[in-house]
Amino acid sequence: MKKVGLSLLMALFLGSNLNAQSADEVIDGYFEAIGGKKAMRALTGIQMKASVNQGGMEIPINVIQLKDGKQLISINLQGKEIVQSAYDGEVLWNTNFQTMKAEKSDSESLQMMQEETKDFPDALLDYKKKGYRAELIEGETIEGVECFKLKLTKNPLTIEGEEVENVDYYYFDKESYVLIAQEKEVLMGPQKGVVGFNTFSDYQEVDGLYFAFSMNRGIKGGGSQPLVIKEIILNPEVDESLFSFPVELEEVEETTE
Amino acid sequence: MKLTHIFTATLLAISSYTFSQSESPVELNGKELFGDMKARQIGPALMSGRVTDLEAHPTDSRVFYVGTAGGGVWKTNDGGATLKSIFDDYPQSIGCVAVDPNTPKTVWVGTGETWTRNSTSYGEGLFKSTDGGNTWTEIEGFENSERISSIEINPSNSDEMYVGVLGALWGDSEDRGVYKSTDGGATWKKIFYIGEGTGISDLVMDPENPNTLYASAWEFRRTAWSFNSGGTKSGLFKSTDGGATWNKIHNGFPSGPLGRIAFALAHSDTKILYATVEAEKDSDKGMYRSDDAGASWKLLSNDFGLVVRPFYFSRIVVDPKNPDIVVKGGLFGSISKDGGKTYRSLGPMHADIHDILFDINNSDRMYAGTDGGVYRSWDGGNTMEMIENLPVSQFYHVDVDDAEPYRIYGGLQDNGSWYGPSKSPGGIEARDWNRVGYGDGFRVLKHPTKEILYSEMQGAENVWRYDMVKNQQKTIQPLRRKEDPKLRFNWNAPITTSAHIPDRLYIGSQFVHVSDDMGDTWKIISPDLTTNDPKKQTQSESGGLSADNSGAENHTTIFTIAESPLDKNILWVGTDDGNVQVTKDGGAKWTNTIKGLEGLPKNTWVYHIEASSFEKGRAYAVFDGHTQNDKKPYLYRTNDFGKTWVSLITPDIEGAARSFQEDFINPDLLFLGTEMGLYISIDGGVSWKKFTQNFPATAVHYLTMQRKTNDLVAGTHGRGIIILDDVSVLRNLNQEVLASDVHFFDIKPNMMLEQSGFGGASTETQFVGPNPTSVVVIPYYLKKRHTFGKMSLEIQDMDGNKVTEIKAGKSKGINISTWNYATITPKVASGKSISYGGFQPLRASAGDYKVVMTKGKETYEAGFMIYNDTTSLVTDEERLEQKRVAQKLFDMTEDLAYLVYTIDANIAYAEKIKKESPKAAKMCDAAINKLTTLKKTLVVTTGDNYVGRAENELRENILDLYSKIAPRFDKPTQAEMENLETLEKELSEAQEALAKIESKELKKVNDYAAKNSLEQEILKTKEAFLSRD
Repeated sequence: MKKVGLSLLMALFLGSNLNAQSADEVIDGYFEAIGGKKAMRALTGIQMKASVNQGGMEIPINVIQLKDGKQLISINLQGKEIVQSAYDGEVLWNTNFQTMKAEKSDSESLQMMQEETKDFPDALLDYKKKGYRAELIEGETIEGVECFKLKLTKNPLTIEGEEVENVDYYYFDKESYVLIAQEKEVLMGPQKGVVGFNTFSDYQEVDGLYFAFSMNRGIKGGGSQPLVIKEIILNPEVDESLFSFPVELEEVEETTE
Repeated sequence: MKLTHIFTATLLAISSYTFSQSESPVELNGKELFGDMKARQIGPALMSGRVTDLEAHPTDSRVFYVGTAGGGVWKTNDGGATLKSIFDDYPQSIGCVAVDPNTPKTVWVGTGETWTRNSTSYGEGLFKSTDGGNTWTEIEGFENSERISSIEINPSNSDEMYVGVLGALWGDSEDRGVYKSTDGGATWKKIFYIGEGTGISDLVMDPENPNTLYASAWEFRRTAWSFNSGGTKSGLFKSTDGGATWNKIHNGFPSGPLGRIAFALAHSDTKILYATVEAEKDSDKGMYRSDDAGASWKLLSNDFGLVVRPFYFSRIVVDPKNPDIVVKGGLFGSISKDGGKTYRSLGPMHADIHDILFDINNSDRMYAGTDGGVYRSWDGGNTMEMIENLPVSQFYHVDVDDAEPYRIYGGLQDNGSWYGPSKSPGGIEARDWNRVGYGDGFRVLKHPTKEILYSEMQGAENVWRYDMVKNQQKTIQPLRRKEDPKLRFNWNAPITTSAHIPDRLYIGSQFVHVSDDMGDTWKIISPDLTTNDPKKQTQSESGGLSADNSGAENHTTIFTIAESPLDKNILWVGTDDGNVQVTKDGGAKWTNTIKGLEGLPKNTWVYHIEASSFEKGRAYAVFDGHTQNDKKPYLYRTNDFGKTWVSLITPDIEGAARSFQEDFINPDLLFLGTEMGLYISIDGGVSWKKFTQNFPATAVHYLTMQRKTNDLVAGTHGRGIIILDDVSVLRNLNQEVLASDVHFFDIKPNMMLEQSGFGGASTETQFVGPNPTSVVVIPYYLKKRHTFGKMSLEIQDMDGNKVTEIKAGKSKGINISTWNYATITPKVASGKSISYGGFQPLRASAGDYKVVMTKGKETYEAGFMIYNDTTSLVTDEERLEQKRVAQKLFDMTEDLAYLVYTIDANIAYAEKIKKESPKAAKMCDAAINKLTTLKKTLVVTTGDNYVGRAENELRENILDLYSKIAPRFDKPTQAEMENLETLEKELSEAQEALAKIESKELKKVNDYAAKNSLEQEILKTKEAFLSRD
């Protein structure tokens, strides 16, 4: 009871002290709100079972991220598992929709993925150790919520031979400190320069940690696609071969002969 | 602070709030109230708009920035193939853009156009981005700068920078001159100031000697009726000590008063300077060159292209690699390749070139900013191609008709008059727009009942009546008769049609002219309604050192005419010199009502009058004082024909006001357009909220409403046409709604349009305006953003059966969700490849439905109706047949899916028995072989999803037919029905074939398993297999 009372006081205190915040205070408040840094650090993996509704068609999505950097995003269409993105620590690959065969992603995408693996389970966790810089900038109102806006400068990337800045923006609810939105400029490809904008809601508890069970992924000022998370499994047991670039059956036969 | 605790805290906060709630009204700002409502920017971009400044990235030749006269700043990452707006929330009138040469992510924008034409807007300061333009902060100290011409940054020290401020156009100001910062823009000091009427039109740093600066000073002033360029204070100055001291460098320049001096320095040889000088004598005007860093000047040429309209064209650009290639902005743009001695015009493009940009690596590649967008050249300026996705069109006016879909009409600065659709298959494309006037375009008005429109060019030099069907035009403007004085038409002359007499047309000069036969004959129904002040009729002397009698300064004219929608005899007239006149008897007697306008400076331009739809005596008047150097908004309402007026302006509103719209259902719902965007009041003008969702801070020159769709349509002067689709939801906002946790607004009955087409024809880099939604719109209000716990929106039938789940907006304020009648897609048999036909959902039928919001433990619901297309040729019987067949094929798809599941499960079971009991191998193989052979006829088991795909099997054939019929509304064809019959037969044969295998080969396996106490096969029931839970 004592602990609850203290937290309640803190919530009220933070709520009334909206203007005098530093980036670290906001980040600390955020981790405290979602379950604490210690619990976050203890995570070895996260699996999310989600779905999108594409014009009446429910498409199941399976997302797995492990602490060692391995990750998988796959969808299921008509009973077929199609890998949108998988990384086994070395190879980044996906399923070609036409041939339904695995294909390796280009080297710049791989480089971005390698950078991202540092961010499990959260880019902000121990961000200084990763060489990132966090800065609190002028707040904004997002979906009617007054938010702190945090700029996180990560390690630069090399794109088309040029070193480019790698920046994420976070919007935290000034009252509850949870993440309301995240923003990042697309750094390569035909969408380069467009600002990706994701919003988060439907926070629920999973084994003592809080996760957004609803995300809208889209473009700043433009449309977005909702992603509904049905289940989150912490520290899942997974078959590591899921992440590996599949070897064609025919090739196996050829090599064994 | 875990979330459980936050819940508790929130709960406490809520209970204390409820306690006091009854006393204080809910106050929300615009972003909170309008939630996820979004405006629709439809361009067009085919004529684009005025571009003021082009700025290169110092190292990446693919990146450049485009500053515009009223459309903000745009950035390209691909050499202009595509552009995106990066400055939506700030003043859209741009003076200059600068990129830090040392840290190119740092971008500076000086607002306020410096091409000071009559219609120019104004800026509000200096802005900085450190992330390539994604986010901006305003720099303190430049709030009143109005027009910033130049930003120069030391190429070896970004902390040292200079800003040249041209300053106020319409009045005196001390916010002018050269400003210096030595701490990267944190603090500033004015280091060079000439006077309150003279600003800095160009400031240039020598990149090799950053302490050397050149500044051209310009004495200039505009009034509503005249423009002056030139005076003894204009001049070209040089500093060699970082701006501490400045000296005139006029050795070789003409003596006497000077006007605007454009200036440039060759980066490849910084001793070489160019300047075009506006002087008293024509023979002294022209391009001067200095080869000794300004110690002496020589006049090289006074070609027309170099001296034309210096206030509008004063940009010189030198090829960064060759000091002898120099380009000057102008009517067509002039390029010299011999060091400034001789010139030819740039290749054909839109006239009025304001800036030129050379590619940093390849001088053959050039860009030009014009009155009609950005052009690109690949061959050193000989051939210019237009960049087709820069929607910065500058409308002066907008009108709509009542066609379905309705059409939008309007005229633009230097880009004629146009009309186009509010929606079009595949989006609103360039080819959807029709040109209906030349020159500068203003009012374009649709005849209320006929396929005829009226359009005009500047000063009513031509007013056209155009038959839209026959493509015939006729000029119909009233001309001076023998008994008339000279007629004074405004540059932007008012024309109005009548709500009561379809063929009636009003035009204002200083008199009101009326025609009852679509402009064939005219009569004057008023005296001179202006002040007729001869001091303000000096437009022919306009220009200063360079005459500029374009008609743009015609003054003491009528600017707005409003006929009462309630009474044809009530007419309101507003003049550019401040009179608000009303007649209640069709023009026999006029009353000037300005006495009741408290707080309004004398002679403030009456920009718009709106006669109310609710009361005859009610009208709204919008005044724009910016031509008197007064940027405050003015909006007044009268309920007694102008005897008394009440100001509706609150501190919420920013920018000079120009346009207004009263809702025609809820008299408290008002819209106001200012130089800085759109404001909405839901309480009759007591308070105003800025609408910012996809609505930039652009000048809103005109507002109108479409009565069938309830769309608010804005003609903006820099961002084209912007539409707020169906604002009727705002009519129902009141304190009761705002105080409720969740409120569903009325969901309009929705007609399921039975149109289907093949979409558009635009290429990837052409602008296409988005269409409005035509499906069910479900608006609701949330008092608080939904962040914690589950929230979903479900469509249910009236018995509470789930039809589908839709995307739920969770914003505080208004949320708009939509439903496109999709229900569910069939469960499809799994095969080697994907069958695309399975992506097609069944469509809901006409009828009653409800939307159910589940939010935590609470549920909220609202009912609505969808109905069939009343304009369709399809009958109800045909629709029923379509539905029956689509459902039949849906069921067949799922029957087949279950069949294939059964086969696969049986194969797996037989394989398992075979493995566990090798004795049963033969028996199992027999079953497996039969089942596999059968499966091969049912689904594709080889190949891929593209050209390597296998021949269609039953699954593909059923889904092909299903996906043809399911999205349609009409009865299936005979061929389709015969095909259906074949497929039904094949499916039933397959079911029989499986039954046969089950009773024979599989039975043996099952019997064997039972006899040997092996695990029995457990198949899912069909219901369980098809379940979607």
